[in-house]
Amino acid sequence: MAIHAGAPRRSTLAPGDHAKLDDLRARLADLKDEPGATLEALYAAQAVFSYVPPEAVTMIAEELRLPESEVFGVLTFYTMFHRKPSAKYVLRVCRDLSCHISGAPAVLKALNDELGTRVSEVTEDGLFETESVSCLGLCDLQPAVMVNLEQHGPLDAEKARGLLADLRAREA
Amino acid sequence: MELVVTKNFGNPQSWTLESYRKAGGYQALEKVLNEMTPEDVSELVKESGLSGRGGAFFPTGLKWQFVRSDPKTPRYVVINGDESEPGTYVNRYSLELDPHLMLEGMLIAAYACNATLGYVYIRGEYGLAHERTQAAIREAYEAGYLGQNIMGKEGFSFEVTFRRGAGAYIVGEETALFNSLEGKRGNPRYKPPFPTNVGVWGLPTAINNVETLSAAPAIIENGTEWFQNLGHGEATGTKMYCLSGRVAKPGVHELPLGTTARELIYDYGGGVLDGRPLKGFKPGGASSAALGPEHLDAALEPRSMAALGTIMGTGGVVVYDDTVCMVDAAYRDALFFEEESCGFCIPCREGAPNLVQICERIMHGQGTLDDLDLLEDLGASMMASFCGLGQFAHQPVRGAVRAFRDEFEAHIRDRHCEAGVCQFANNGRLA
Ligand SMILES: Cc1cc2nc3c(=O)[nH]c(=O)nc-3n(C[C@H](O)[C@H](O)[C@H](O)COP(=O)(O)O)c2cc1C
Ligand code: SF4
Ligand code: FES
Repeated sequence: MAIHAGAPRRSTLAPGDHAKLDDLRARLADLKDEPGATLEALYAAQAVFSYVPPEAVTMIAEELRLPESEVFGVLTFYTMFHRKPSAKYVLRVCRDLSCHISGAPAVLKALNDELGTRVSEVTEDGLFETESVSCLGLCDLQPAVMVNLEQHGPLDAEKARGLLADLRAREA
Repeated sequence: MELVVTKNFGNPQSWTLESYRKAGGYQALEKVLNEMTPEDVSELVKESGLSGRGGAFFPTGLKWQFVRSDPKTPRYVVINGDESEPGTYVNRYSLELDPHLMLEGMLIAAYACNATLGYVYIRGEYGLAHERTQAAIREAYEAGYLGQNIMGKEGFSFEVTFRRGAGAYIVGEETALFNSLEGKRGNPRYKPPFPTNVGVWGLPTAINNVETLSAAPAIIENGTEWFQNLGHGEATGTKMYCLSGRVAKPGVHELPLGTTARELIYDYGGGVLDGRPLKGFKPGGASSAALGPEHLDAALEPRSMAALGTIMGTGGVVVYDDTVCMVDAAYRDALFFEEESCGFCIPCREGAPNLVQICERIMHGQGTLDDLDLLEDLGASMMASFCGLGQFAHQPVRGAVRAFRDEFEAHIRDRHCEAGVCQFANNGRLA
């Protein structure tokens, strides 16, 4: 089932990424016969490409024998899936009440200022992007930030800059 | 006080099977398998008064009995570890520090329900919880606590599948969670039929919160009276409360169900941050309406919270001091529900953004007193929402207007924000 009938979706794959489709197919082999594994399949695609490109949606639909529209629907429902290339370090900054009244806005601003980016914009080196997200369940670490799945907090503007420095040091 | 669900948290490597066994782990399951029938277990848990810690407080033993009574097989036990209610992080502690306790509780539930299959579903962001829980499941398989003929008990078999979410608060709603387990969008399903009869894959399912299941082993070992006496007044058992917001020491505290907000905030949380005056508190997550300081002595349990027009919810208590603007706080809740509404039904999909817009107007000095009535009307229309998210989404905003009306009126009449959060320019536009 095509999502936009008659108008093929434009590929977002970088030239070097086509070879990675084989990697995804191999990962999907384990999930093929597991009922309800769509989310895990999307996670697999994200692990390969850093996001879920249209080609991966098509492949997941074929391998899991699902309508493409259903796979696309699942992809767009859950906020942790990316539809454009994501950074190596995704910095999820909580915006909900406990973090908000504990200084989260200053943390988000410090990160964006330091990176020179806006929310959901990837830095040119591909390393960082910030996201402004719902409660992370880290309210005791208010204001809290998750770096991929790593827990950080409580932070303020200065500690947020320090966190970036640590992450950059890991890359050096 | 005796602890039920956090008793192992301080043990070294508490999340490992070795440590759990050293602390007496899996003995309750052994007792269940050797000495009790499935009926005995559900009756005992019914009598104990254990009720759902996910926030709805449904009697747990009764749920298990319903599942067992449905002739369709296979039956399922599902652990709800989707915890995403703002201000709530108690399940995270249990999943990271004592996953075996929850698994033992799950096995006790499986025995009581005659269930053979299970899922553990944990929200996508809880990376450490994923690792520790998956490791615990592997250990339990290796030690014969999961799989076929468990602990040598002929005919008692239970297989568990681990699953993680991918960012969606609504998936914590039980029927939405089933859809997610089935690999679909996490929209809720119509109830009835209830999960006990038509759950995941259309089969009878006992879905329970992490904390609910974690309480089961201690009830088996120590009996119903022991558990009942742990609660204050009519409330039975303990609750993992957690503190955040403008409190000196945020953290998790397992206390008698029915502990007062004053005890929790002042005795356990060290009081308000920097000794500032307390403006109010939220009893349990974003869905609960905030209360003023005059209610500090109210018991944090479902009945007394309902009597005050709010809900006990998750026990995630958020503290407000005088630096917090109540309009801004209500706005934050509205933003959360707008973001997390699954968009499936109109009252919630359209209502939640309206709540946001009305709060914004007031914060920008463009609100009118009619807006406060409009919030009431909007809330009434949102009661027609398809699921609990929309039915609760307006409560925190309306509750804030009820309890802190002066503050809302000061924004509207005088363009004045006592906390200094909302900045008004002379023409009433946001500076
Ligand atoms: C919008 C919404 C979100 C919910 N989120 C959770 C959750 O994250 N965890 C949870 O255990 N229950 C959650 N619930 C309640 C579940 O639907 C269900 O009642 C609960 O998992 C049953 O387990 P219990 O009886 O052990 O509490 C939520 C309900 C609603 C309406
Ligand atoms: S009330 Fe909200 S979350 Fe629930 S079904 Fe309707 S739109 Fe979805
Ligand atoms: S409110 Fe920020 S992590 Fe919960």
